[in-house]
Amino acid sequence: MHMRDVQDGRLRLSRSRLSCALSLSLAFTASWAAPYVPTNDAQVIAELPAGARHTSAPTREATAKRLDIALPLAQFDISRARATGDLRFLGYAEAILQPWLDRSAVAPQVLVLNATILQSRHAFAASLSELDRALKARPDDAQAWLTRATVLRVLGRYDEATASCQHLQAIADPGVTTLCTESLRGLTGHLDDAYAKIASMPPQGLAPEARAWRYSELGEMAERRGDDATAEHWFREGLQLSPDDFYTRTACADLLLRHKRAAETLQLLSGYESMEPMLLRMAIAHQQLHDKAAVAADALLSSAFTVEQQRGDSVHRREQARYLLDVSHQPAAALAAAQENWRVQREPDDILILLRAAQAADQLQAAQPALQFLGQHGMQDVRLDPYRTT
Amino acid sequence: MVLLTAAAHAHIASNGFLVAHVDGRTITGSYELAVRDVELAVGVDVDRDGKVTWGELRSAEPQIIRYLKQHLGLAAQGSTCDMTIQPMQVNERVDGNYAWLPFTARCSGEVKQLTIQYSILDGIDPSHRGLLTLNAGEAVQTAVLDGKSAQAAFAVFTPSKWRAFVDYLHAGVWHILSGIDHVLFLLSLLLPAVLLRRERHWEPVAQARPALVSILKVVTAFTLAHSITLTLAALDMVRLPSRLTESVIAASIIVAALNNIFPLVTDSRARIAFAFGLLHGFGFASVLSDMGLPHGARVISLLSFNLGIEAGQLAVVLTVMPIIYGIRAGAFYRRGVMPWGSAAIALIAAVWLVQRAIFPS
Repeated sequence: MHMRDVQDGRLRLSRSRLSCALSLSLAFTASWAAPYVPTNDAQVIAELPAGARHTSAPTREATAKRLDIALPLAQFDISRARATGDLRFLGYAEAILQPWLDRSAVAPQVLVLNATILQSRHAFAASLSELDRALKARPDDAQAWLTRATVLRVLGRYDEATASCQHLQAIADPGVTTLCTESLRGLTGHLDDAYAKIASMPPQGLAPEARAWRYSELGEMAERRGDDATAEHWFREGLQLSPDDFYTRTACADLLLRHKRAAETLQLLSGYESMEPMLLRMAIAHQQLHDKAAVAADALLSSAFTVEQQRGDSVHRREQARYLLDVSHQPAAALAAAQENWRVQREPDDILILLRAAQAADQLQAAQPALQFLGQHGMQDVRLDPYRTT
Repeated sequence: MVLLTAAAHAHIASNGFLVAHVDGRTITGSYELAVRDVELAVGVDVDRDGKVTWGELRSAEPQIIRYLKQHLGLAAQGSTCDMTIQPMQVNERVDGNYAWLPFTARCSGEVKQLTIQYSILDGIDPSHRGLLTLNAGEAVQTAVLDGKSAQAAFAVFTPSKWRAFVDYLHAGVWHILSGIDHVLFLLSLLLPAVLLRRERHWEPVAQARPALVSILKVVTAFTLAHSITLTLAALDMVRLPSRLTESVIAASIIVAALNNIFPLVTDSRARIAFAFGLLHGFGFASVLSDMGLPHGARVISLLSFNLGIEAGQLAVVLTVMPIIYGIRAGAFYRRGVMPWGSAAIALIAAVWLVQRAIFPS
């Protein structure tokens, strides 16, 4: 039997292949097809993302010798990682920074970029310690304060995050300072007011990155306020401005999936299959549609998670919980993963997956810490409301 | 410009997949690296259009192989194994296409301590990891290789001799007891051992001694014969097609059983046992070749498998003998069990013969 069908560039799996793959438990290989020799020299084997190119030895030597070359290159790679969700770019940035990190006195800018890499890998404690080192050397480093605020926000340490935002006032663009503080107020009991403040910011006055942030922040806030139509509008505006914004695209997909708009979700994510969190949303959409591709998407995801586990990575804990809950329908395992995730990060989506998994596993007491956290900070989110009353 | 940090999501990180099978002094396996990582390592997109075609990848094969040999090394007990890399193929994985390179490495001695030097994408992507699956015997080890440790050492577990002895002994016993064709053949030879052929009639032996001697001769002859052919076949010195041996084994049962009804050979059944035992040995060997002889414990496994067969055989003899000795004098045994039991055995064997000769599986 021929297992491979790549006629339209997308991978399909036959059911028998899947069951076979599962029964073999995939193990370390996590590959679902056999190697083959392409018959046509013109066949495109891989499309290279911009910036993923062979770097000659002289260029690499130059980045090891000149900080003014190393910093923008590393920054470019980090921004590629952020925009595309492609973890490999973090590795490229790390490689550029490595010789500079090995020095006895590390430049604060290098520390800040390294902190960003660590943050993207969800190594939050390590990231904070790099930032504190950088800020000791350069207390007016706006990037360091902003990254610090972001990390602390993910960790649910809102007071410290707000304090970091306040440091920005004197040294950064006022729009950025407003976004930083208001987004935190939006999580701590002042959602309507914060939303109004951010919505009234004139986008023209903001740098492109800040404009993209404003859109995704508005979208999420509208969603938490229960105004999904407006939320979708903000997400779509944001995507029009920066189609590569990985974060906004997944947020928009989640909104559509909540409304069972599976076909639109697939349309939104088409072309992003190679990114695990996108693939997860596509798998859920396929399940909502009860179509055959659900099986294939499930198999792809499970092999991706297998590989991650083998590496010992834990970047996608939240996705893993969501996969176990919504795709493979194992509530107990999903709850365990969501609890594991909760120990590390505390964004509204982390709370949502924990509550949903706890309910599905019929163990709501397991989500008690999250409910307590909600009450303690006065976090408003209509998606979480059904769980508060139970 | 201030870099904005949204909460992090991510794509799958860079991995290389190394699968290795250790067999004696040879290591076979494959190494896989994502095509985009191959680009980073050696530069394959010659026309720089952002697309890597199969043609581009193929023309870069010598550079890829050179890179691989520089950054992936296998050594047994500290001495480097000579790695030959076979033509590249393409394998699809969750994050895209990979260059898949099968290899064979020959080491100077039997691999007991395998050292892997791994520095793929060193200085290019420090988050790259090599995911190793190491197979040796039945043991599978997995490990994550990274550039930081540069070298990783693995003890290769060859199956212990005692373990092999027990496993193959068990297999031998099990094969005899579950392989009903050997049991029926043995039974056909055992049934007349408690009788004497006199003037075209079967008469019970008066004492146990002649019966025991007769059985001892038959069993010894059978054992000797099948041990010879089992050894020859297991060590690959003689080979017979299994369809032929299986068919002839069935035929041997028919002959032995019919000889009880229409006796031609009455006083030298040991010769029949020997002649047909040679064939049964090939039958045992085919079981053994399905199991395979563990490397480093070939002789001991062969021996224990044979011992297991003898033990199983002995169990059959010890079970059947007292019973037929006890009932040998009655008409039920001489006129019932002897002819009709033998006829039933011959009939079953005839069915096998047809199945094996005409409809081999």
